[in-house]
Amino acid sequence: MATPLPLVRRHRLVLLAVAAQVLFLLGVAAAGYATTAWGRTLTLRTTPVDPRDLLYGDYVRLNYTISQLPSRLWRETGRAAQANEPVYVVLQPADGAYEATGVYAQEPAVEPRQVVLRGWVTNSWRHGLRLRYGLERYYVPEGLGRRLEKRPTLLVQVSIAPWGQARITRVTGY
Amino acid sequence: MSRKLVETEGPKWVAQGIITTEQQQRLLALYPDDARVVGLLPLLGSLLVGLSALSLIAANWQDLPELVRLLLLLGSMGGAYAAGEYFLRRGGNDSLGIGLIGLGLVLFGAGIVLTSQMYQLIGYDVTGLLAWAVAGTALTFIYQSRFLFALTAVIGGIVQGYSTGQLSGFSYVTAALAVLGLGYYWWRRPDALLGGILATGIMWQAGLLIDFLHTKITWFFIPAMLVYAAGDWQTDRPAGRALQAPPLVAAFLFTFGLALYGETDTYAGLLRPPLMAYLGALLAVFAVSVAGKRVRGRLGSLTDWLLLLPGFYLPSGLALAVATLVVLYAYSGAVLWRAQQEHNADRITLGTTLFILTTMAAYFKLTWAFMDKSLFFLCGGALLLGLSWYLRRAARAALPPKSE
Repeated sequence: MATPLPLVRRHRLVLLAVAAQVLFLLGVAAAGYATTAWGRTLTLRTTPVDPRDLLYGDYVRLNYTISQLPSRLWRETGRAAQANEPVYVVLQPADGAYEATGVYAQEPAVEPRQVVLRGWVTNSWRHGLRLRYGLERYYVPEGLGRRLEKRPTLLVQVSIAPWGQARITRVTGY
Repeated sequence: MSRKLVETEGPKWVAQGIITTEQQQRLLALYPDDARVVGLLPLLGSLLVGLSALSLIAANWQDLPELVRLLLLLGSMGGAYAAGEYFLRRGGNDSLGIGLIGLGLVLFGAGIVLTSQMYQLIGYDVTGLLAWAVAGTALTFIYQSRFLFALTAVIGGIVQGYSTGQLSGFSYVTAALAVLGLGYYWWRRPDALLGGILATGIMWQAGLLIDFLHTKITWFFIPAMLVYAAGDWQTDRPAGRALQAPPLVAAFLFTFGLALYGETDTYAGLLRPPLMAYLGALLAVFAVSVAGKRVRGRLGSLTDWLLLLPGFYLPSGLALAVATLVVLYAYSGAVLWRAQQEHNADRITLGTTLFILTTMAAYFKLTWAFMDKSLFFLCGGALLLGLSWYLRRAARAALPPKSE
């Protein structure tokens, strides 16, 4: 039956639990720094964004050139991509920015100049795929919105860590 | 009895000679005037100050340096835990203390979300939020608090919803944490309210699993009835019964829906999992449940399983609707009958409600097509009024006369 924990033991456990939570939050922050420090940085091109987002919103909705891909890049034979399916997108440099060369259901082995970005299929039809990378929202730091307002096409620098974690590190005008 | 009652009624009792003035004073002294009203003002004041600080921070969140933001998150979380621990240690204000611990737990979750947003990190799996559910489970065990238990059940549901909705994956670890962590807690410290919360939380996750697997929705009743069977094995009867209520509500609503819409083949077709696999699984759960009922001497509640009769395998049509209605009548009749045996007023009300609901469904189902509308409503109203009068009379007759 219910017997409350002895007070001393409880204090020790509470301290342990709170310390673990603090450490965990610090770990999340550290993962952010580590992704930039050890990750490979590459540039992605966006299609024009809504300038009102830049000026008035907390974040800007980004639509990348790799957000919509032709279905010939789907590399699984015998079946179509399913909505919500997690996928691995292989990117390689093509004049100034990275573009997709293939979409895989399992993590593929790639050449040194290529990188793998994880994402999800949001929609798939006969001729194309719509993908979501989790990079579609950029929380705009103060002042940047005004500078980028006249340049609706943005270049987004993304760091991809060796363990697959990706994060936006910088957004610049095209 | 409260101080207010003695204060207002006391003079009347004195006037009627029931107690003397001195006795009234002594009674009053038993209920000291707690300084609650006075204590409320500083609390409200600090709440307002806190809210102003919160809105100031929220308005300027994006402009603060990352380190400051991180420290703010850690500080508010640590502060809430420390304040909660302070009130618990001081004693006398335990609910405030536990409330603050709960606030700390909520701030931990907010901290996970805001920190990953701050560093523009993408969640590829649910590990980040899973830590939130783990922390909630740990705090529930440490403080042995019902509030933290309920909060953790909700957090588990949120984490699972995020996992299936955003990350396209069912988190079996989150589900296991709810079943094993909270389930073990409830098993050792049975409690009626927590039983209902636990069952609802587990069934929510089971529903998400069924949706995620794109399988026939009837599979939902395998995990749901496993929860029910766990209630059969629980030695604490009210707690076990509370755990069984959510699965039974789900089964009743499902059977009710089958009675209303089961005629169309498209709906019934959606419900038919492979016969042998489904029946095998259901019978296995049934066996676990029956064994529990036998060991705990509660075989009377076997009638609950009427709702699980897989009528949807029958060819759809009016026959299926009628068969389902018969099952519903049998179930609500059984609830009424057992309630009368046990002289349980609440269950008699429940049985009456179920019985009337079933009658309503039967009436709509069987007469709408070939009866004039006004006559339909007139007969329906008369039928329900008559039925409720009869059932109320039966209920009164079943209860023992009030002795007080």
